[in-house]
Amino acid sequence: MSSDTKPTEVLDVRGEVCPYPDVKTQKKVKSMKSGEILEVLVDYPLSAERIPRSMEKSGHEVLKVDKKGTSDWSILIKVK
Amino acid sequence: MTDVELMLYGLVVGAIFGFVLQRGRFCMNSAFRDILVMKEYTLLKAVALAILVQMIGFHLMATMGWISLNPKPLLWGAMIVGGFIFGIGMVLAAGCASGTTYRVGEGMVGSFVALLGLMIGAVVTKVGALAWLAADLKSGIFKTITTGDLGVDPGPLLKEGSTSLTLANIFDLDPWIFVAIIAVVILAALVWKRGGEETKVEGTLSERIFKKGWNWWVTGIAIGIIGMITFWTFKNYALGISGGWFGFLNALITGELHRLSPEMLNWFTFLVIGVVGGAAIAAVIAGEFKLRAPDARRLLQQFVGGLLMGIGAIIGTACNIGHILSGIPQLSLGSMLGGAFIILGCWVTAYIMFMRG
Repeated sequence: MSSDTKPTEVLDVRGEVCPYPDVKTQKKVKSMKSGEILEVLVDYPLSAERIPRSMEKSGHEVLKVDKKGTSDWSILIKVK
Repeated sequence: MTDVELMLYGLVVGAIFGFVLQRGRFCMNSAFRDILVMKEYTLLKAVALAILVQMIGFHLMATMGWISLNPKPLLWGAMIVGGFIFGIGMVLAAGCASGTTYRVGEGMVGSFVALLGLMIGAVVTKVGALAWLAADLKSGIFKTITTGDLGVDPGPLLKEGSTSLTLANIFDLDPWIFVAIIAVVILAALVWKRGGEETKVEGTLSERIFKKGWNWWVTGIAIGIIGMITFWTFKNYALGISGGWFGFLNALITGELHRLSPEMLNWFTFLVIGVVGGAAIAAVIAGEFKLRAPDARRLLQQFVGGLLMGIGAIIGTACNIGHILSGIPQLSLGSMLGGAFIILGCWVTAYIMFMRG
């Protein structure tokens, strides 16, 4: 991982149910500074699709959505 | 159809339904909650399209004489109270009746716990300690309002002897007029809310079917067609979920497999078992099947949510599938009322849980 995509903070919402992964991601992003990178670890398929969509809609940059294993995703978000 | 044929048919249709639910992430709790909490309309569009396809499909099949519409009666007290309780329950359970059922197939233990709650709540309210409540809310001043009470003709396309009020017969107008009006409204809303939020689905056809989440319009059309096939073959009603889970636990407890109408028990119970199986197959193929559980507090919250869904579905005579997906396309006023209070209960609870502070 190159230095510019190294996450500033990691949010692990694996095991959480609908819609907590999304709500917790939104809260976390709000608490971070512009340009910082958040890595979200999620194992709930609907949120793995919905989080990138809603982050882009709120103007943040989705750097990467990586399916790391069975129902296991890492989402890299650059805060606007 | 023989019992065995009905069981097999229920399992097969249920498996296809479950496959589509999992691929499309089709959950009405998410659909209604997200427009409030996240300003997200994707799943709501899938729900609206499924309603549109079925509304036109059901009325077309009824006009051709292949089926008779069987809208739910206007049990107004029960539908208001039951719908509201169900709506609260689905937010706590983190999934509606269908969403909870398909997520059991994904290996989500929290949804399994919610489903246990749903079954217990349903049995307790239908044949157990809370049966009085369901009965009281359907009698006295809460008595069904029928076509006879209002002096209107039930009108065409309805099952023989039905006195259920619909949007068409209450105004003494042809149902197709309302089908056309609602179709135009839904299409206009879909065009208005087009673009922006769709998942960009790429890859080969097989990858797009088996590996990635479906686009909302594929899901909406597929679920609409499954509902039409169900009504056409089964004749009495389209899709339902909560009745099937009631039948499952009730049959286990009493050992009486034919305690209710045998056809209903077999059909809906095997349908929901099929849904879990179909969703599991879809999840395994997509690499999305994993046993996982939230913490103890959340599990308890989901169990209570499931209980409320079971209680609400029996009081209100249907869950989100029976009312919103299958009842509204038949223009049933009862299902519209029940559906509206399911959404209201969902919004009030979602506001309190996710939007305050």
